Amino acid sequence: MIIHPDLAALRDDDTPQRLAQDYLAGLRDGWRQSAAAAAILADLAAFDTSRPLADYPALASLFGSDGGAQTRCFTGSFVAAMARGLGEAPLGHVPVRHFTDGVMSMLMLARHGNVTLSLVAMDGRGLARRPRPSTVSFAPMESWEHVLAGTGTAELVERGAVTSERADLRSRDIVLRPGETIRCDGGRQALVVRDVEGCLVTLRLQRRRKGADVACEYRLADGALVHQAAGNPRDSRIETMLALLGGMNRADAAPHAAAIVLGEGSDGLRWQALRECLALDTLAGFTALRELADRDGDTLAAPARSLRDRLTAAYPQLAGVSPCPV
Amino acid sequence: MNLPKIDLSTLPDLDRLTGVFGSLSENAGLAASNDSIVVLMAFIYEVTSK
Repeated sequence: MIIHPDLAALRDDDTPQRLAQDYLAGLRDGWRQSAAAAAILADLAAFDTSRPLADYPALASLFGSDGGAQTRCFTGSFVAAMARGLGEAPLGHVPVRHFTDGVMSMLMLARHGNVTLSLVAMDGRGLARRPRPSTVSFAPMESWEHVLAGTGTAELVERGAVTSERADLRSRDIVLRPGETIRCDGGRQALVVRDVEGCLVTLRLQRRRKGADVACEYRLADGALVHQAAGNPRDSRIETMLALLGGMNRADAAPHAAAIVLGEGSDGLRWQALRECLALDTLAGFTALRELADRDGDTLAAPARSLRDRLTAAYPQLAGVSPCPV
Repeated sequence: MNLPKIDLSTLPDLDRLTGVFGSLSENAGLAASNDSIVVLMAFIYEVTSK
């Protein structure tokens, strides 16, 4: 294996790497404070609400019908700064969250709470070699996507009537051209890019909705529900933490788990919290289970009643657990 | 009161399971408009690095 001497030297002394990162981070911070970006990023930080985009004029200007020049200035100044930085410090990493799989590449230019702003590039030839997606996913979020360069066609899929097993899906083709902005309400609309001429570059603003909704994935051919996932990363983080605390047998976490069971999270999170709570501390778990089972209008009340009855039959002493004093 | 210790594995899951944020059944998301993949990658990075 051939290892470049500059890289081999980093094994003994990583100072050049740290200096390169500091240099790139400085360029990024300078961009954030620049005239092209500061007002937009301030708007983005304030946008983590349910208010409309039009209430945030600097941010909205990136996605308006006449926003092309401003959007190019905003993204171009970031790319120019990073290109210069990598030219001078080729061992550095661009200091923002990023992803690439060789076909789609993303740089997350900014994020605040549930809001993200990403620069996305999609390679047309790579996309053409991929199998066509057979499913589509609807997530609880809104998105605005401004085409900066390249052209393509996409399918805008709309979710109509929904049952627990399937959804009515309707789709129409839309053309992606520079200067256009596509707005999606992710709970009922999803954009699936089909074909790209050259490389499609877009600026994408997304705002996840707060709440307990999940992301649902359906088969395009017949609308059958094939998968559902947490609608926000917070639910998954809490679920992972609960599993860890359960694995560590941390009974002192049971009251927190019980609060999640009876809180406002998603059904999946609350049910996992209930399981962990019951396993950690039978009294705390069963008390939460019984309160859940007695709730009117809670979607988990029916499975909670079934579990309560099953546990009471298996362990008759649970029938003697008295309700929490009010 | 002498209460039983309940084994987690004996407690049922809901009929429909919910995957972690960003999970997909198939190759659905790569051409779709969603930032979950970057969030998921960063999440994995942040829990596996210092």
